[in-house]
Amino acid sequence: MTGIVFANTLRTSWKQILYWGLGLGLLGFYIAFIASSSDIIQGYADLLASMPPALLQAFGASSVEILRSSEGWIVSVFVSEAAIFLSVFAVMAGMNITANDEQAGIMDVVMSLPISRSSYILERWIGYAAIGLGILLLCAAITLFGLVLFGVDAQMDLVFISILNLYPGALLVMTVTGLLALIVRRRALAIGLSAAFVVASYVFNLIGGAASGAIADLMQGLSFFSYTQGEEIVLGNYDPASTLLLLLVVLVGFALSVRMFISRDIGV
Amino acid sequence: MASATVIEIRGLSKSYGSGTKQTAALRNLNLSVHQGEIFGYLGPNGAGKTTTIRMLLDLIRPSSGSASIFGMDIRDHSVEIHRRVGFLPGELSLWEGRSGQQIIHYVASVHGDSKGITKQADELAKRLQLDTSKRVRDLSSGNKRKLGLVLAMMHSPDLLILDEPTNGLDPLVQQTFHEMMDEFRDKGKTVFLSSHILSEVQAICDRAGILRDGDLKAVESIEKLMNVEFHWVDVQFRDAVPEGLARQLQQSSEISDVAVNGSRVKMRLVGDFDPLLRMISDGYVKDLRVEEPSLEDIFLAYYSDGREAR
Repeated sequence: MTGIVFANTLRTSWKQILYWGLGLGLLGFYIAFIASSSDIIQGYADLLASMPPALLQAFGASSVEILRSSEGWIVSVFVSEAAIFLSVFAVMAGMNITANDEQAGIMDVVMSLPISRSSYILERWIGYAAIGLGILLLCAAITLFGLVLFGVDAQMDLVFISILNLYPGALLVMTVTGLLALIVRRRALAIGLSAAFVVASYVFNLIGGAASGAIADLMQGLSFFSYTQGEEIVLGNYDPASTLLLLLVVLVGFALSVRMFISRDIGV
Repeated sequence: MASATVIEIRGLSKSYGSGTKQTAALRNLNLSVHQGEIFGYLGPNGAGKTTTIRMLLDLIRPSSGSASIFGMDIRDHSVEIHRRVGFLPGELSLWEGRSGQQIIHYVASVHGDSKGITKQADELAKRLQLDTSKRVRDLSSGNKRKLGLVLAMMHSPDLLILDEPTNGLDPLVQQTFHEMMDEFRDKGKTVFLSSHILSEVQAICDRAGILRDGDLKAVESIEKLMNVEFHWVDVQFRDAVPEGLARQLQQSSEISDVAVNGSRVKMRLVGDFDPLLRMISDGYVKDLRVEEPSLEDIFLAYYSDGREAR
């Protein structure tokens, strides 16, 4: 592993940090602006309190009480939306690891160079993982700046950690997309399957959270969104095992991707 | 003294698909390419040329058989092999939004010694009259091809593997390319190039292999291929073609493709000239021309069903 592919990935794709980080950051900035008005927050919480629990879940919160604190409101509203937008980035990044270059025929040139397939996919994966982290850091910085600018009385460290806590989920979506693209080979199909994975996860989390019973628990357990513990961080109930589980699945998915990339024909 | 074997292919086969839909792209290929030669790999589209090349570069894996380059197995030592190989794909795709210079810099850094390689790339680009400051999307197909040649040659590889290298190049640049290949060979380096342009293979290659439907039909030196035992003979009589001559010619086992046009007779002759000279001696021969078969004739002979060039 020389780091050249990694450096090249950053050199060619660093603008994504700006675009996505600014986009998500502005959303956070806007949420911070709304959070500066306690009347709006309380009114919003009162409105949701009068609605069925499923609707509350759809708005990204498990209880009305959490919505009454500034950091709870920011995490519940902003982080749940950011997770969906970040999943879109993760699908695109997953396609960029190998599939897009392979589909374009560029992989023939790249893989005729003195670099092993395992090094290549590893450096590409790390490159896009670094870009994802950059996006979250920029997003967090703009959001926190908004909180300071609008004088929101919120626990900054909890907001920051909640935003960073989106990272394992994004890595999972990126890895799953990269793996699917290696398996199915057709770009459009891989994107479709990845999108279905994200949407199904979202719906499972939504229904699983709103309903009760074994099936509902199973649905929620199958959704990676349920392992993103923004609220738990705010409430002080954060369970690192959930994050570790996500990272373990990422590791297994990536190991399968490497194995697949090493053993298969390229560009056929 | 026999030169070292650079490429050694043993029973290489490749099939695509599975079950009843399985298609053989290459069957039991055995081939050796030696150091310091330019080897032409001839065949029409779909013959298996690109499949062979992609297996040699470990882009696709053989269904059976094995191959080595510089004595190293193509699968086990692909990184070491690629360090010493320059490759130009038949359909070259590069990052459209990046300039030639950026791509050269990236590829050079993967090869190591970025500075020296970049300098060599500049010299090659100058020789091929390529502007490397332009983005790939702004390059014509010919200029893209030139950039591909620069990328393949800039690290001074010991072996060049080129898939249809002159596709899209204008005749002047083709001439430059031929000179570059000669110089490359003069340095004791090896070229394996696939082509369907027979004149090109005839002009620059030392040996050629002819591939058809995944089977290697023949491997010969260009000199020997050109020396096959048939000629095109064109006889011009002063008066009409002697009566019965055409029938006599057609009945001869050594003569074929007889075409009579006024006082001229054209034919394909295999073997000695004496029997023909005796047959035409009844007429007054005004002119007699003998043409060596072109590589294309040989190529067609190999490809005509049920008949191979002798």
